Amino acid sequence: MLDQQLAWYVAGPLLGLCVVACRSLFNGRLGVTGGFSEIVGQVSRGSARLDWRGWFALGLVAGGALFVLLGGGDAFSGGYGWLTETFHGAERAAIPVILLSAGVLIGFGAKSAGGCTSGNGLAGSSLLSPASLAATATFFATAIATSFLIEALI
Amino acid sequence: MKTRLAGAIVGVVFGFTLCWSGMSDPAVIRAALLLQESYLFLMFVSAFLVAVAGQRLLARAQARALLTEETLTCPRERPGRRHVVGSVVFGVGWAVADACPGPIATQVGQGIPWAVFTMAGVLAGVYLFLRRGAAETEPAADGPRTAPRGGVRKLAGAR
Repeated sequence: MLDQQLAWYVAGPLLGLCVVACRSLFNGRLGVTGGFSEIVGQVSRGSARLDWRGWFALGLVAGGALFVLLGGGDAFSGGYGWLTETFHGAERAAIPVILLSAGVLIGFGAKSAGGCTSGNGLAGSSLLSPASLAATATFFATAIATSFLIEALI
Repeated sequence: MKTRLAGAIVGVVFGFTLCWSGMSDPAVIRAALLLQESYLFLMFVSAFLVAVAGQRLLARAQARALLTEETLTCPRERPGRRHVVGSVVFGVGWAVADACPGPIATQVGQGIPWAVFTMAGVLAGVYLFLRRGAAETEPAADGPRTAPRGGVRKLAGAR
């Protein structure tokens, strides 16, 4: 069952219900970048005491591990998208550099914008927060344009 | 304690769903961003609609958070330059890695080796931002820590 992509009309509502659960249970705005920020902030202060956002992020990692443990590991390609398709052999040394750089853009950009695909895209936008709606439109448009640019270059 | 446990459980459900929907596979994200597959957009819109409907129902049915007794709020912010500029930077990174923060976390849990680099980059990016000390741009959580410029309204006022 886990080797088949879950239907979008099941997956989407499940993600939406997670947003509702955070609001209902502890008046929280679900967001992955917020969780990373909590972890980075606390650890850099020498503390390991995390609030719910940090535990949410750790839960995501556990969710990924659980998916593999239950046999879902073979469901998808196993590579890392265009990077493992484009670079072979010794060229693959470029992949860590590209992923590290992309990661810095993701982390810094999402923090500047006050959220990523989850925090702005789902949680903030579902409260019809104008900032989140603007952020969501911007990152979707930018990501689509960048993807077409990469496609044209490789 | 209860709040942290609840956060972790929601995280497991959210992460498991991201994996099962293929969002942790960069090839799936790439096909979506090249507009070759509609799955991501259909899923995203259905998640959005359920979240809107669910929080509207909450506003009618529930005044206080079940675990913390906090008054439910509806934090809304006016868009500023940082939301747009930050999202451009984020969008470029998302399209290069074909992974955003949720799937990056689940990839680590799935044991995908390349994800270690993406995750290290994200944590470094967050650290760089925090070091700049831009405390006023921290609405990642609502509640007592933050007071978004657009004002926090009670969720009941969201209708």
